[in-house]
Amino acid sequence: MKIKSLLIANRGEIAIRIIKTTRKMGIRSYVIKTAKEPNAWYLEEADEIIDFSEKYDEEIPEFLDIERIIKSAKKHKVDAIHPGYGFLAENPVFARRCEEEKITFIGPSHDAIYRMGHKTIAKELAREHGIPLLGGSPGAVRDADEARKIANKVGYPVILKAAAGGGGRGMRVVEKEKDIERMFSLATNEAAKAFNNPDVFLERFVREPRHIEFQILGDQHGNVVHLGERECSVQRKHQKLLEESPSPALDNAMRKKMGEAAINIAKSVNYYSAGTVEFLLDVDNSFSFMEMNTRIQVEHPVTEMVTGIDLIEQMILIAEGKKLPFSQKDIKINGWAIEWRINAEDVQSGFSPSLGTIEKISWPESENVRVDTGVRDGSVITPYYDSMIAKLIVHGETREKAMQQSSIAIRKFWIKGPKTTLAFCRAVLQNSNFRKGNFNTSFLSKELKIHYQNEPDDALLAAFFATYDYAREINENEEKPLHTENGKSITPWVLKKRLR
Amino acid sequence: MARAAKKKQSTKLIALSSTNKAYEFKKPLEKRIKYQGKEVDIKLHEDPKGFSYIVWKNKKYLLDVIEKKQNRYTIMVNGVWHSFTVETPVSLKRKRYLEQQVDASAAVSIEAPMPGKIVDILVEVGGEVKEGEPIIILEAMKMQNEITSHITGIVQSISVKKGESVMKDDVLIEIKKG
Repeated sequence: MKIKSLLIANRGEIAIRIIKTTRKMGIRSYVIKTAKEPNAWYLEEADEIIDFSEKYDEEIPEFLDIERIIKSAKKHKVDAIHPGYGFLAENPVFARRCEEEKITFIGPSHDAIYRMGHKTIAKELAREHGIPLLGGSPGAVRDADEARKIANKVGYPVILKAAAGGGGRGMRVVEKEKDIERMFSLATNEAAKAFNNPDVFLERFVREPRHIEFQILGDQHGNVVHLGERECSVQRKHQKLLEESPSPALDNAMRKKMGEAAINIAKSVNYYSAGTVEFLLDVDNSFSFMEMNTRIQVEHPVTEMVTGIDLIEQMILIAEGKKLPFSQKDIKINGWAIEWRINAEDVQSGFSPSLGTIEKISWPESENVRVDTGVRDGSVITPYYDSMIAKLIVHGETREKAMQQSSIAIRKFWIKGPKTTLAFCRAVLQNSNFRKGNFNTSFLSKELKIHYQNEPDDALLAAFFATYDYAREINENEEKPLHTENGKSITPWVLKKRLR
Repeated sequence: MARAAKKKQSTKLIALSSTNKAYEFKKPLEKRIKYQGKEVDIKLHEDPKGFSYIVWKNKKYLLDVIEKKQNRYTIMVNGVWHSFTVETPVSLKRKRYLEQQVDASAAVSIEAPMPGKIVDILVEVGGEVKEGEPIIILEAMKMQNEITSHITGIVQSISVKKGESVMKDDVLIEIKKG
């Protein structure tokens, strides 16, 4: 069935990213307006807006309100729903409700979401299909006592993970037996909060692995291909900070072996649509299946840059029932792509969120640079959603060239307003082991000692600017005493808010 | 403060960094700074979008005042922030004098690094804490964050309760060095 209209049950950059493809395909796009960001940019990009801002439930956030979204989709007679990432993207109930209401869900079947979403079921499937796994609990761990018993058997360190989890939440590493009780309660609390399910399971913790994931695409006719890997080892507390494709760690033989394992996992649940299979790669080149993400991922652009395939377009075509237009041998990896996540975070204070208004944002436009963002001048980073400002994706013929282009692009990426991770990106690019491709998930804690890069004269110029601004303000105060309040400057953005 | 500086605005100002480094500028409004023994002219530019920058040794330095409270400044330079208090020679002298009077063994407060909700308090008043030890679990941005102590000492007071919401920089716990 040809999809003519599509509701995007998401916001921010991914909503705008999906709209780019729907526009290209001649599909009418619908988005949801919330009271939390009624002036967001994605609303302007869409063809139609469904307004949730007048009436909303304090308990169920807008993008998680399954029945309201389904009802709106039916009222507006949209053919399909794309969930983006996060929110309802990996909620099997939502996918099933779409199926029941004859709305095409742009993603896999609810059954595939359920089985891969349940990490313990997914691990069981992997075991049945001969995919390597780490030792640990066969299912959810009942209590701290049981966790202690299993941990003693597989040996410390161990990791506790939310069975319904993902995205690094509900995960705790336990180094020693004395910590297991406290960590067990932290992990279950966080899992209950984040995923509505307190179940956690336990695994042997690989100390310095690489995190490598394979992008797969499958159609509804049993064809599955992989589009190469993404290297996601540069992380902080299991949150990815940058990704690249391909990985400097894999040769063609390893790529083939892991790619085939990824395809087998996908086939075990008759997977269709775009999906990602995550592996840990140990120093001895042995790999273990971690989990499968049954959605489009934040870092999908690096794969698009090196394969030339529009993943959102493929997801829509697959949902329409079309066959994949290519087979494995047609997939070519061209050059190298790196994605830098630019978040509103204070790198100098442990990456704590830095909320506020983006007064100005600008970046260098270039053929090998792609910027996916949901913000523009005047946009607000709210505490309601994640802290991502933009994704800067840079392509080069080689890794060296991609890094070189990245340096230039990052230096020209200017943001006025919140504190950002840009100085962190520069620090990574200056690290010799990163440049050599020699790093793993311990890169931030062990290798990169200073998490931001500055120049010797930064402090001097900053000091000058502070005194200059201070002297100027006093000067202006003498001339026009009404223009400040308590020595605080009022930016037009603050003024705009106050006037509203 | 402002009044004292007002009279002296044509003279020297000092930016005192959070690490107590003093940067002196004779006449900041004249945009001239002393660098390696020489007086150097500074050119402040504004690009068409309104970003301010200084070209220094052939490199662009993007500058922004991100926080300003009376004489307390946080300046962003190419994405890295620096904190200063802007002082006159007189106010700096007074500040230095006052600092000497502060008891070195006073309690140190642990503040909330971000807004959030207190999920758990892991210490008690009178209890001992070691540097790096988790003292409070703060939930923010859907993550449970362990707030750790940056000094070793005895817990003197706890200013928050379990379940309470806190703002950034709210004092959570006071620890007496020991």
